[in-house]
Amino acid sequence: MIRIAVKKRLFGVDGEMELAVDFTVSEGEFITLFGKSGAGKTTMLRMLCGLEAPDEGVITVGNDIWFDSAKRINLPPQRRQAGFVFQNYALFPNMTVRRNLTFALDKSHDPATVGTLLKTVGLEALAERYPDTLSGGQKQRVALIRALVRRPKILLLDEPLSALDLQMRLKLQDELLRMHRSFGLTTLLVSHDLSEIFKLSDRVVMLEHGGIVRSGTPSELFVSNELGGKFKLTGEVLRIDKDGVLYILTLLIGNSVVRVVATDDEVAEIGIGDSITVASKAFNPIIEKL
Amino acid sequence: MNRLKGTITSVESSGGISLIELDVNGNTFSALMIETPQSNPLLRTGEAVLLLFKETEVSIAKAFSGGISCRNRLRSTVSAIETSEILTKLTLDFRGTKVISIITTRSTEALGLAVGDEVEGIVKSNEISLKKAPE
Repeated sequence: MIRIAVKKRLFGVDGEMELAVDFTVSEGEFITLFGKSGAGKTTMLRMLCGLEAPDEGVITVGNDIWFDSAKRINLPPQRRQAGFVFQNYALFPNMTVRRNLTFALDKSHDPATVGTLLKTVGLEALAERYPDTLSGGQKQRVALIRALVRRPKILLLDEPLSALDLQMRLKLQDELLRMHRSFGLTTLLVSHDLSEIFKLSDRVVMLEHGGIVRSGTPSELFVSNELGGKFKLTGEVLRIDKDGVLYILTLLIGNSVVRVVATDDEVAEIGIGDSITVASKAFNPIIEKL
Repeated sequence: MNRLKGTITSVESSGGISLIELDVNGNTFSALMIETPQSNPLLRTGEAVLLLFKETEVSIAKAFSGGISCRNRLRSTVSAIETSEILTKLTLDFRGTKVISIITTRSTEALGLAVGDEVEGIVKSNEISLKKAPE
């Protein structure tokens, strides 16, 4: 179990603010930190991996103390078993993919790990390439396995997929989930993408002004308590067209574009770009084998 | 989305399916759910809920006689008609509550519907969703 009970004064765009959180994460959980910019999400990840120190508090992982202000313990990043992936890839441009990965290894680790990892994610063919010759998705997959070469217990992801196109994002979401499971990781993700949150997270922790305001499964936090509307999807509004007495909403749900019918009172509350849930009774869907 | 306030008066379950009877201002409604009181504790007698159903699921009957399998019949007065080429939006006054029905303009003409007509809005039980009423 991981316990994060820390306080830190932050100086953000909205002035001074106190980040004060106390929560635990079970081993193997996939947690998403959700909240507006400046709520303290990235700072939390940076404190976990040791890039920033809390003003006071404790961070424990199992029986290990990573940070304890009272005992003056503050493990440096390289002694914390945590892997970190940012939105920008942060690969060394003057090193090949293989060198980027071996560079991240401790002397105590087996160099063969790099080969095995490259093979697991099917990137062997790119091992001798330089980052500049890779696509955004490939770079981010390299950054991801670089975070894993030191066999971390915790994987910290700060909007790692937000710069990628939808197709690549969906593919890497699957890969993230597979790695999370096969490496027995405990993962903390910062994300604003609702479909990503629903797909990946066991639990969502909602932050506001440096404090935790709510926590629960994605459904508990984002879906209204409708009864029996078994068929629930989250999507983004792409277009709203008036057609006679009705409106046609064009929605992006997952990676498909679908059109649904709405009335003026429903349209009055929504705009293009809004996230919405679409629910239908379990009796309606027509089912056909592909 | 049409919304009516109601109260659950009975829940009958078998397997994973429940038939819920509701009272809406003295009218009996029924809704079919793939939920049971075990899977959803809100399905119990006395619970205040909102009945939700799509405008396009409200059929219209005028001077109707004979039997019909649909369990939800809303005796209403047509208070407004808005016509477009293919579809027509009927605003019904269902005992003081507004209910919208969207049917084809062809049907509207075939029934000779006009403002002030007495009609029945008909909704199948499986088209009604329930939601916990706001506090």
